[in-house]
Amino acid sequence: MTGTLRILAATSRNMFVNRFTVVPPAYWAAQILVTSFFSMYFFSSLASYVGNPEATAQYVVIGNAVQSIAATTLLSVTEIPSIEKHSGTLGGLMQTPAPLFTVFFGMSLFSIFTGIVAVSASLSFAAFFFHISFAGCDFASLLAIIAMTCLSLTGMGMLLGGVGLHLRTSAIIANVVAYIGLLICGVNFPVSYLPGWLQTVSHCLPLTYAADAARAAVGGAPLSELLQPMGMMALIGAAAAVAAWFVFRFFERLLRRGGRIDMF
Amino acid sequence: MSPRAVCAGFRQQAIQFFTDPQWIIPSLITPFMFTMVMLFLYKDQMDGPVVLQAVLGGGVLGMWANTVFASSFSISYDRINGTLEPILISPSGAYSVLIGRSIWSTAIGLANALLVFAIAELMFGTGLSVADPALFFLTLTLTLFSLASMGMLIATTFILTRRGRILSSIMEYPIYVLSGAMVPITALPEGAGMISLALAPAWGVDAVKHAAIDGYSSMFGVGILEDSAMLAALSSILLAAAFLVMRRIERKILETGSATRY
Repeated sequence: MTGTLRILAATSRNMFVNRFTVVPPAYWAAQILVTSFFSMYFFSSLASYVGNPEATAQYVVIGNAVQSIAATTLLSVTEIPSIEKHSGTLGGLMQTPAPLFTVFFGMSLFSIFTGIVAVSASLSFAAFFFHISFAGCDFASLLAIIAMTCLSLTGMGMLLGGVGLHLRTSAIIANVVAYIGLLICGVNFPVSYLPGWLQTVSHCLPLTYAADAARAAVGGAPLSELLQPMGMMALIGAAAAVAAWFVFRFFERLLRRGGRIDMF
Repeated sequence: MSPRAVCAGFRQQAIQFFTDPQWIIPSLITPFMFTMVMLFLYKDQMDGPVVLQAVLGGGVLGMWANTVFASSFSISYDRINGTLEPILISPSGAYSVLIGRSIWSTAIGLANALLVFAIAELMFGTGLSVADPALFFLTLTLTLFSLASMGMLIATTFILTRRGRILSSIMEYPIYVLSGAMVPITALPEGAGMISLALAPAWGVDAVKHAAIDGYSSMFGVGILEDSAMLAALSSILLAAAFLVMRRIERKILETGSATRY
């Protein structure tokens, strides 16, 4: 247990140092702030231009604020193994006695931090620039939803990143999954607009529950009323994390056996 | 300018595109998602012109995104791989190589536009047709030229920084908004609309929509001729600016030996 905690502490610390060495904090913050603001602006303008009465400003802005977690946490967690492979450091990591799953989970803590910063910035923009009222908001519920969304999307990211160990790049999977929320998770329009089979897919993704629950929390719903979506997010995230553990073990063994750690 | 170096730049960018498939993200995945969001938002009001507008918007958006990302990434990769210096000191000069690369990126943008068009047609089957095919092709070509010019300026400017990749990520959504590809510029605040006036591809979007959609009401309140003239003029300015920036950068780098400083 102490060993695992030490690995998590070391890898997360290294990730913070690495990221801020390559990308200075000012650029990192600018990327989060500009992307959060303009993505909300883009989709709220689009919804307003189309004039769909169900896709109100509040609906789209809160949906995109939650989506910002997917665009940061899910995307970057999925890309971590692929970046190590591209940088030629995957072999070095695999030579250490630390299990890859633990190493990458430690690294993903930075992505969780990024997701929390992104969603906080987005919700601030929602209040100050898009004039969304938070007067009746249940902030405890909203915080719980944000935390659960970050964790469940990290689980999904670990699962997809594990597959990325085997691929040349996981960027495509990462982007498809991170951005598919815009389309099928009820971020910009209700899930009921989608064909039946896509609605089924949508209900297997934590972001669908997160977007609805966040809107309810902003509307004042207490945590006790949001236990069902919270439970679903926890279930999906936990299932993805367990699956990720097996996927990492499988591909780690495959890479070692075939000597294809750095093969592209 | 060396035609051989242009061809080599084009070929190299093509090889890189197929070797590193993540380029399909800005070229195809993002514009496709955005087009679909717009179409689903329309829900029951979806008809031929609406689908055409969404598809054209998504197509041009993809061309934009591809130009920005490919231009900035190509220089970043050269820097990471240590190939920037040899390109800069080659007798043909970096400008020719960058032109070749920009032409490839823009051509892929066109392929993306056609693909989004085909996918939307297959999914919604609304019998899409453009009002004036000849003018449509002409304005699309001019728009491609403007995007290539924009790509040239971005690529040359990003030689000055090692943060080209993150800068392009920062530029992504503002560009989507300001291009007027999906949401007309008239729907933006006044200040944002003024910025769009200086962007050549925004005039291209207007010209393409004029040629494609019957009864289209211009974002700038002008006709297709004015759109095309502004498009050509702004593209030429961009290209000339890119050339001048490149000359200055080359001279500066040769004087200071700082090409691969990272």
